[in-house]
Amino acid sequence: MLNFTIRRLNLLFFTLLMLSIVSFSLSYFFPGDALVNLSGEINADQQRTEQLVELYNMDKSVFHQYTAYIGQIFSGNFGISMSSQVPISDELHTFLPATIELCLAALFIALIFGVPLGFIAAIFHNKPLDKIILTFAMVGYSIPVFWFALILILLFSITLSWFPSSGQLNLLFEIEQVTGFKFIDILLSDSEYQAQALKDAFMHIVLPAIAVATAPMTIFIRLARTSMLDVLESNYIKAAKAKGLSQAHIIYHHGIRNSLVGIVRLIGLHFANLVTVAMIAEVIFNWQGAGSWLIESIFARDYTAIQGGLIALASFTFFINILADFLYAALNPLERHKKHGA
Amino acid sequence: MARENIYQEEEFPSPIRQLWYTFKNTPVAIIAFSCYLFLVFFSVFGSFITPHDIVENNLDKLLLPPAWNDDGDVSYLLGTDDLGRDMLSRLIHGTSLTFGLSFVVVFFALAIGGIIGSISAINRGIKASFLNHFLDVILSIPSLLLAIVIVAILGPGLGNVLWAIALVSIPQFVHVTHNAIKEEQKKGYVLIPILDGASETRVLITSIYPNIIDKVIIQATLAQSAAILDIAALGFLGLGAPIPMPEWGSMLANSLDLFYIAPWTSYLPGLAILLTVIVTNLVGEGLRHSLKIQKD
Repeated sequence: MLNFTIRRLNLLFFTLLMLSIVSFSLSYFFPGDALVNLSGEINADQQRTEQLVELYNMDKSVFHQYTAYIGQIFSGNFGISMSSQVPISDELHTFLPATIELCLAALFIALIFGVPLGFIAAIFHNKPLDKIILTFAMVGYSIPVFWFALILILLFSITLSWFPSSGQLNLLFEIEQVTGFKFIDILLSDSEYQAQALKDAFMHIVLPAIAVATAPMTIFIRLARTSMLDVLESNYIKAAKAKGLSQAHIIYHHGIRNSLVGIVRLIGLHFANLVTVAMIAEVIFNWQGAGSWLIESIFARDYTAIQGGLIALASFTFFINILADFLYAALNPLERHKKHGA
Repeated sequence: MARENIYQEEEFPSPIRQLWYTFKNTPVAIIAFSCYLFLVFFSVFGSFITPHDIVENNLDKLLLPPAWNDDGDVSYLLGTDDLGRDMLSRLIHGTSLTFGLSFVVVFFALAIGGIIGSISAINRGIKASFLNHFLDVILSIPSLLLAIVIVAILGPGLGNVLWAIALVSIPQFVHVTHNAIKEEQKKGYVLIPILDGASETRVLITSIYPNIIDKVIIQATLAQSAAILDIAALGFLGLGAPIPMPEWGSMLANSLDLFYIAPWTSYLPGLAILLTVIVTNLVGEGLRHSLKIQKD
């Protein structure tokens, strides 16, 4: 396990190193002056510019500039936004939790519906139910999220008015921002309308989460189906059958447990896809998250914000990736020790 | 009569032809493939067969509903938008933008990715592992995020969006080619040309490529469906095709204000994207299925 941990952390380290190099070099690739792109201070006077040159080592070699940049990042200074002149770290603190909240809610929905549906499809392999689930998976995988989100809004907010169409929380509730995660903030607040606020926040997250969850869910359906089919073909299942166990018993005790292990590993791989979908959905549902913030900053040519957003969102994805890897290793001894496999 | 040439073997079709023989026996796949060819036809000849010009404004016929509606007009089969432009013509023309360009993008990504993948498969040690790990980094960054960064460098516009999507889709081809070549190199038949003294490049081109092309093509169809969605998504966000161009994603974005009074202006581009992606996915799925049947 120690070996495994070191290897993963090593990978994480190099990934982050690579990411920081890419992000640093962006300030040269983006149009305009590199120092302005790094700091975001477009209206700095002579004195301030000199300070910034010293801060970012701009008068020294590229390597020194890079180390200075890393130092600034680790001290939490991502520069200030070119359009709003607010520190990027403050903006990230406002917007990133909303994205994380949405992504985790969507991941939860995708797993809780996708995996069982995939198992059902595998159990009824080549029967009508399997075909129906596969067709559903194909359509869900192909549907463009922005269009699907519009249809959801039209159906559930405008026609049926079950759910609100945009935003995260009704403005009537005065919830103080502490962590940025709406649900946690509501629980922390001492508002007398806490229960109503929770319900309202829940109503707001339902539609965006469904829109974001659909594409990953269909991927999980297919993964779960393939994984279960592989397991059901293996020898220990045949042995269990020969022993005379009932089909339900085999699936519950041997099938589900063994095929879940294979799925966990792939969750991390598909998480990047989920974040992409979430970024688009945020724009449509007017969700004040990092995705819509990044897309707005493109139109505002706010390069500091794009740099900061890239680092934040990509590190978040890497982190989830590594987490899924560890979870997989914890569940599957074969991954931790090669000798178990022999 | 005895066979004249006793050494004549039965014909062994090439892997790609074998794939086709299995593929054409799957009804769903062959229907999807016909639709796919139909889309290719539209994207090549689309501008010649449209009934109206794509930017022609018809101010007498604004927001005309589709022909099956009571207020519809048969000469505008799918209705018109808020400037009186014919929806059908714009959709047909849009095929060459959303679908046709995705084809180009994937072809480009396949070529570059294939070359990098081959290089990393032939080489061992640091160079190969650097290529692989670098690509893993890119693969785990959300594709839209990368595309946004590239668009921010190059500026918005359809051409720049295409570059961005092509760059984003390269890593998967590197992975597929790399893994497929590694797998083939272990097989016996590759040893024969090596013993004959063929160089590594020659073995790669004459012996290995024909045997991995089926896997690469399958990956290409999957990449294409993702590319269609990406082009449309960036068009929808206003970063891709400029407004007069009938790219499906940006058509959908323009029709957002009309969602209530003229729903067909949003339904139709969305449906077009959905059907195109389904068709592409079904072709890919059909190919993958045939490959699996062959293996068994």
